[in-house]
Amino acid sequence: MVKSYEAGGTEFRLSVPRLDILKGAKLAFVGESGSGKSTLLELLAMILRPTESKAFNFQPAADGQIHDIAAAWESADADHLSDLRSRHIGYVLQSGGLLPYLTVRDNINLSRRLVHRSTEDVAEHWAERLNIAAQLDKQPAKLSIGQRQRVAIARSLAHDPSVLIADEPTASVDPLHAERIMELMIGLVDELGVTLIVASHAHRLMGRAGLQMIDHAIDAVSGNSMHVTVSDASS
Amino acid sequence: MTSCFILALSAVLLPLLVLFGLKFGIIGNLLAPLEDDPRYRQIRPVGSGSFSSDWFDQMAARDDVAFIVPRTRSISATMRLRLPDSETGRIISVELIPSAAGDPVLGDLDPPSGFSSVLLSQDAADKLAFAEGAGAEGILSRTYKSQQETVLLPLTVTGVAPAGAFERDGMFVSHELLVAVEDFLDGRAVPPLGWDGSPTQDDSRKFSGFRLYARDPGDVAGLRRGLMARGIDVRTRQADIELVQSLDRNLSIVFWIIAGIAAVGYGISFGSSVWANIERKQRDFSVLRLTGFRTRGIVSFPILQALMTGVLGWAIAAVIYFFVQAGLNTLLAESVGGGEAVCRLLPAHFMIAMLLTLSTASAAAALGGIRLAKLEPSLALREG
Ligand SMILES: Nc1ncnc2c1ncn2[C@@H]1O[C@H](COP(=O)(O)OP(=O)(O)OP(=O)(O)O)[C@@H](O)[C@H]1O
Ligand SMILES: [Mg+2]
Repeated sequence: MVKSYEAGGTEFRLSVPRLDILKGAKLAFVGESGSGKSTLLELLAMILRPTESKAFNFQPAADGQIHDIAAAWESADADHLSDLRSRHIGYVLQSGGLLPYLTVRDNINLSRRLVHRSTEDVAEHWAERLNIAAQLDKQPAKLSIGQRQRVAIARSLAHDPSVLIADEPTASVDPLHAERIMELMIGLVDELGVTLIVASHAHRLMGRAGLQMIDHAIDAVSGNSMHVTVSDASS
Repeated sequence: MTSCFILALSAVLLPLLVLFGLKFGIIGNLLAPLEDDPRYRQIRPVGSGSFSSDWFDQMAARDDVAFIVPRTRSISATMRLRLPDSETGRIISVELIPSAAGDPVLGDLDPPSGFSSVLLSQDAADKLAFAEGAGAEGILSRTYKSQQETVLLPLTVTGVAPAGAFERDGMFVSHELLVAVEDFLDGRAVPPLGWDGSPTQDDSRKFSGFRLYARDPGDVAGLRRGLMARGIDVRTRQADIELVQSLDRNLSIVFWIIAGIAAVGYGISFGSSVWANIERKQRDFSVLRLTGFRTRGIVSFPILQALMTGVLGWAIAAVIYFFVQAGLNTLLAESVGGGEAVCRLLPAHFMIAMLLTLSTASAAAALGGIRLAKLEPSLALREG
């Protein structure tokens, strides 16, 4: 799979010759800023259309079916991708991503509502686990950044996804706090058997958290172009 | 936020409604007499001519003719009249006005028919002190074979014509009665009434005049031209009609220019605020898409919101408009007089205003929505 950008006379090209992510895996894409980590996560989360894609299959643990994502993009079947996202994927943005006019409770319940699942005690349960029980009836603007990130994690897990994708979830909080949030997240992921995909430039943190790391290998950089390859080293 | 939006919308819509209400009210008042008063549609012959029954048939068949009946020579279209039961015993001379079904001056009254059913003009009724249900008697005299002859004709007065219908002493009669009176006075026999005389004419009878009304004040000029071209000299109130019509035209042009500018401005201001509202929420929409909401669902939300805003803004403007209308009408009632509403709108106008509002709203929202749908969600997520 390839995604390339051309804008303002610069070119960026991310190639993924091969990448298999198994159920229950916990991995981190690591690379310097601008090396395409967010780009790759967006591709995996099916919100960014690949420039070229020979094969992109997604087999969610919950239904066992193999979905041909490359074909869905090809046929512009956006609804199919939306449905897959709503059922199987939780996404934590680097910052923000909460709806400002909803309370913390409603933000957490949003993903469950979308798939018509009961929201009884759900927000309470997740708030308890993530130490934000006192914040449930506030609006996101009245929360600290760290608290907001925990709300975002709660929301991305509330609908029982099989894959949790987090783009530098701890980048905007202090290192101490970052480690706590990572620990919380990994604890939950382990417990739920959810596949975890994280992007980070914090090598050490990822290592300590016990994630398998995949590097963004920069093949070529010139003044105005950058080629990056990501591939699982094991294969 | 949305409430500001709604208020802003009504603030722009309200003056537009008032402006249009004024245009509609004022022009309506100007045009009302033209539409309501049949005299504006009347075409009167000058002098006497000679018109055949065929000619009347042709005229009656025309689209621009609402009503036409033949008149006889005015000398043989009069009759003396008295009410036998009245105490005064007064006899007056009345002009005979031919009438028929659809006579514009009689309004809803039943037209005269046969040889006995007639209607009186207001003046004639007053002079005879006519009371509902009273019988009448016509008196006709002629000199026939150098002998003075008088006949009495029993009549039933079925009603009194409205005040403006005929301004002298007159009696509305059927075509048959009019013709019978002419025949009698000319010394011819009228067998149905038992009046003797020389044998009756056949169908080649010619009439000297007519009562003609155009279908619409706008048709008067055309009819007049046609008649004049055939050598029939007529009088109309065309000048009055044209004055009002040109006033209407000019006022309408002014109103439409102002209203057009205001409506376009209204469309742009409302449309752009709907658009801006969508623009501002782009990131939230992207978050929703990331969560897995379908594009259609997300895009229908701002459209729904725009429609809601439109309906509420319109409703507020309409309610305030009613107060403004009432105020303006009482304020201007004295200067205009006649108790006519200076400012008024029909329900249809409110509907048009709402449709305009909703179509601008949904067009702007749909455009914004399509833009939103085309946007890669990842792009908006990166902002801020
Ligand atoms: N929409 C776009 N159009 C053009 N170029 C883009 C676009 N989005 C990203 N890029 C470019 O793609 C490259 C990779 O961006 P990306 O956001 O994936 O990097 P990253 O690894 O997540 O960086 P960071 O660690 O700073 O978040 C960058 O060079 C960026 O300039
Ligand atoms: Mg990034």
